[in-house]
Amino acid sequence: MKRETDYGYALKGAYGPEDVTGFDYSRDLADPGQYPYTRGYFPQGYRSRMWTQRMTAGLGTSAAANLVLKNYREMGQTGGICVISDRVFSDCIDPDHPLGRREAGILGWPGCSLLEFEELMDGIPLTGQSITLLGSSAPSVMRLAYIVALAQKRGIDPSEVHGSCMESPFENYFGQTDVSPFDLNLKLFLDAGEYVLRNKIRMRASIISQHFQESGGNSAQALAICLSMIKEVCGRLINERGLDFDTTSLFPYELVSVGTRFFDEIAKIRALRRMYARMAKEEFHAKTEKACQLLIAIHTSGRTMTFQQPLNNIVRCAIQTLAGVIGGCTALDNATLDNAHSEPSALAARMSLNTQHIVAYESGAADVVDPLAGSYYMEALTNKVEEEGYRIYNEIQGMGGMIAALERGYVQDMLSAEAAKKFQEIDRKERLVVGVNHLVIPEEDDFEIPIQEVHSHDSEKIADRMEAWKKTRDQAALQTTLAQLYADGKKGDRFNLMPAIIEAVKAYASVGEVMGTIRLARGLTYDPFDMIQCPYAYE
Amino acid sequence: MHKGKGIKVIISMIGLDGHTTGGEIVARVLRDAGFEVIYLGATQTPEMILKAAIQEDVDAIGISSHASNFHQIEYLVELLKDNGMGDVPVICGGNIPKHVASRLKGNGIAEVFPPGSSSAQIIDYVTANARGAARKSA
Repeated sequence: MKRETDYGYALKGAYGPEDVTGFDYSRDLADPGQYPYTRGYFPQGYRSRMWTQRMTAGLGTSAAANLVLKNYREMGQTGGICVISDRVFSDCIDPDHPLGRREAGILGWPGCSLLEFEELMDGIPLTGQSITLLGSSAPSVMRLAYIVALAQKRGIDPSEVHGSCMESPFENYFGQTDVSPFDLNLKLFLDAGEYVLRNKIRMRASIISQHFQESGGNSAQALAICLSMIKEVCGRLINERGLDFDTTSLFPYELVSVGTRFFDEIAKIRALRRMYARMAKEEFHAKTEKACQLLIAIHTSGRTMTFQQPLNNIVRCAIQTLAGVIGGCTALDNATLDNAHSEPSALAARMSLNTQHIVAYESGAADVVDPLAGSYYMEALTNKVEEEGYRIYNEIQGMGGMIAALERGYVQDMLSAEAAKKFQEIDRKERLVVGVNHLVIPEEDDFEIPIQEVHSHDSEKIADRMEAWKKTRDQAALQTTLAQLYADGKKGDRFNLMPAIIEAVKAYASVGEVMGTIRLARGLTYDPFDMIQCPYAYE
Repeated sequence: MHKGKGIKVIISMIGLDGHTTGGEIVARVLRDAGFEVIYLGATQTPEMILKAAIQEDVDAIGISSHASNFHQIEYLVELLKDNGMGDVPVICGGNIPKHVASRLKGNGIAEVFPPGSSSAQIIDYVTANARGAARKSA
């Protein structure tokens, strides 16, 4: 059995002063609330701001997802909601598209129009809690447009809504693929970023090293990738959109994956805060303190949830939640005990949410900020993951940054090799997973757990409703707004399409129509799968 | 390892699911074991997988599934039968609930590998059950 971190640092049996020689408290740690923020952003930690305890929702119809959100609220989830899109919306086609029909409402919320968002949010406040909409990168602009449109319809200034609804275009390389081309995703992502920053809308974009790590990347690589993604995004908003760093720093937040290697995970989160703060100050010359503080949300690791003996996953989830909380985070959502079987059942979701509540209110972990600071082991581990993270970060920067490294295939090769290594380690029993390659029990002795059914007839129902509803819309308003979007789409990469997208969304244009129109303006096929034609003539 | 020598296998996702990691790892495992692997990647319809299977004249098809798209896997099996390729086994892997795995096996899917399956299990199964396996091992 290997006794080393996932990035290959061999652990000693005990740590002492010799492992932290040169340690300088004020330079390396400083008090909580002080640069470089290794110990977090608040002097009183969770006493001054409890992390947002949430579960991801989204399955079946929008009305069904709405009920789930209301149930979560009753279970004590009041700090924020988190909804994930189905694959149809993620690929920017409509449920009544021939391929959409097969899987609308499967694996997420079928959010293809403002109508769906209105149904999802029925009776749920847009303000007073954070609104998080996940999915792929391509429809980020649609999710933002829904929030702006619904806020305005409810008479709320969009700047009063906070949360996150955009996703970086890099996720397409990390096992979360959508079918839109990278250059289009990047352009729209920067449009959305520029729009929220100029209009002071407190909606952020997730820069998701979680996907990278869930696809097999190690902790040090995840740190390097995270910093490189943020550097690329902020750099482009500065150079191409004329914003300053302190403003652009309000755009990204980082979604971090936390696994079961308890101390390694805490070290990773502490290192991330310190490395980001240094990048902000030394590379971008940040002027404000806030610009040196990276917002960190945590998703406990779905890939560690085993198919075999799924009740064991409750324990894994608890260890990971405790690590995330001790590491320090703004929000946390959990994988569920049934993750390797199906979408979360109501029981599994409640179990995960309760895991957070137990850590928050019973364990005492939320009482004292950064409790492991000063431990020889923790400080050595934080330094090690940072050192290896910087080595990879410098390589990526040497190539010209994140996009240049992707163009050379460097990041993809690194991820693929690491994923294969992780699989091999379990295959060869170098890493033990209870119930999988160690202490295996016969299948018939395994506990049965409730399974959330995913019904394909829901997809047909969602598709039929969409097809009929589309005909009831104000056709003149649709055509006018989409024609404006088409015209704007021809004005070049730096012309911001958000205003035209918002107008089209208010006229109830669907994601297929909005993205199809933008695609046409850029000389692409209307339909990414080239199976349907544009119903409107723009020229 | 040369267990897979002479055996041609498609590895693919099906439908719009974009969780590619599992399929990519299995493709790599089989390649390392000497199989000829055609990795189709994401956003493949059953019709596209059938077309590739005919063009490449493959001996087995592996479908990676993330808790969804089970009907599309069954539809692929039907398409293969209708096109005279019913002897090409369709093997699934991924997050598939047990009762669905039983249903899939009842509907012509050859085998379902849950998460945590070892490379030896996968390699041995494909070697023994690919089209013409008996002939090739003779």
